[in-house]
Amino acid sequence: MEPPIYYSKAEFIETDTGNKVSRRATIAGPQNIILGGKTIISSGAIIRGDLRRTGPGHAVVISLGRYCLVGEGCVMSLSVTLSDRPPYKTYRGNFNYYPMKIGDHVHIGANSVVEAAQIGNHVEIGKNCVIGKFTIIKDCARIADNTIIPPNTVVPALSLFSGSPGGFCRFVEDLPESTQEMVEAQTKQYYTRFQPLDR
Amino acid sequence: MPPIRDKFTIHSKAVVCQDVELKGDITIGSGTIVHPKATIFAIAGPIIIGSGCIIEESAILVNRRKEVMRIGDDNLFEIGCRIESPSVGNSNTISTRARVHHTVRISSYCVVGAGVLLVPTEDQVLEDYTVVYGPAAEQRTWSGRGKVQEADLRRKHAEYLREMLPKFNRLRRGDGT
Repeated sequence: MEPPIYYSKAEFIETDTGNKVSRRATIAGPQNIILGGKTIISSGAIIRGDLRRTGPGHAVVISLGRYCLVGEGCVMSLSVTLSDRPPYKTYRGNFNYYPMKIGDHVHIGANSVVEAAQIGNHVEIGKNCVIGKFTIIKDCARIADNTIIPPNTVVPALSLFSGSPGGFCRFVEDLPESTQEMVEAQTKQYYTRFQPLDR
Repeated sequence: MPPIRDKFTIHSKAVVCQDVELKGDITIGSGTIVHPKATIFAIAGPIIIGSGCIIEESAILVNRRKEVMRIGDDNLFEIGCRIESPSVGNSNTISTRARVHHTVRISSYCVVGAGVLLVPTEDQVLEDYTVVYGPAAEQRTWSGRGKVQEADLRRKHAEYLREMLPKFNRLRRGDGT
């Protein structure tokens, strides 16, 4: 078991379902965001729930599953800015933002910008990544650090992507079938390691 | 260096969120949208932003020169980009996490791709319809196809934001009002 990661108790708000949200994260339109439980949102993260579909009533803009982490490794750093915002386009002449769905056990690294339409379960996204609009990332995929994924890409299940458009190859290799169990164990362990420090 | 004097002139039809960092002499034109957490720094000379621009979160506009930094109409500055160019024309797109140095002047209808570092040591002008992309900042010229659709999307995007942003965010007003 690795050593715990401490955070100051005053900085984070813990909800009944075990979500830990930093007070230093920028969360716009919180009524449109669903957190699945045991999800950590680090300081400096920006989550845009205000960019919603037009129309009456409530609209879920961003839904995150269980054991997710937004902005890993930036717990101590203030300069980190990470952004999670839904994608937009015009359809039949109407402009709209579209909802974003993120599955369980998803880790998103520090400084990444995510505008995906859908992210499956057990996905790992590295640091400094840019995930283009309407990208679909399937289950158990991994995105290496500093990767730029162009808009409308589909990342297949159990694949590792890296590089940037105009650069070298984007698909690197297939991941082993044990990825699901490994990522699940890893994210659960991260949540247990993430402990408050009274002071 | 004298201290920076703040002077914000924000058009009554512009939407500037409260959580925006402004410093120096800044003029924001009608219908321009500044998302929360954006930064506009007029360190030496003033910054004048035209109408209908969209400046997304954590984008940074900096003017290090003495002269006026002029930004035209209908430009889109996406998340986390950093612009120091002394002049920007109309209808440009600066994509996510792109960086443009103060040696580059941007004309109109240019696209700077995601994560591009455009930092030439000598002065350079990006001609109309230039597209910059990839890790080596390669350049090509856009044929201009789909320009009307692109402009239409931009206009609708700004229109949507002008309606939706004030519902969820506090707005900032200029000195005059």
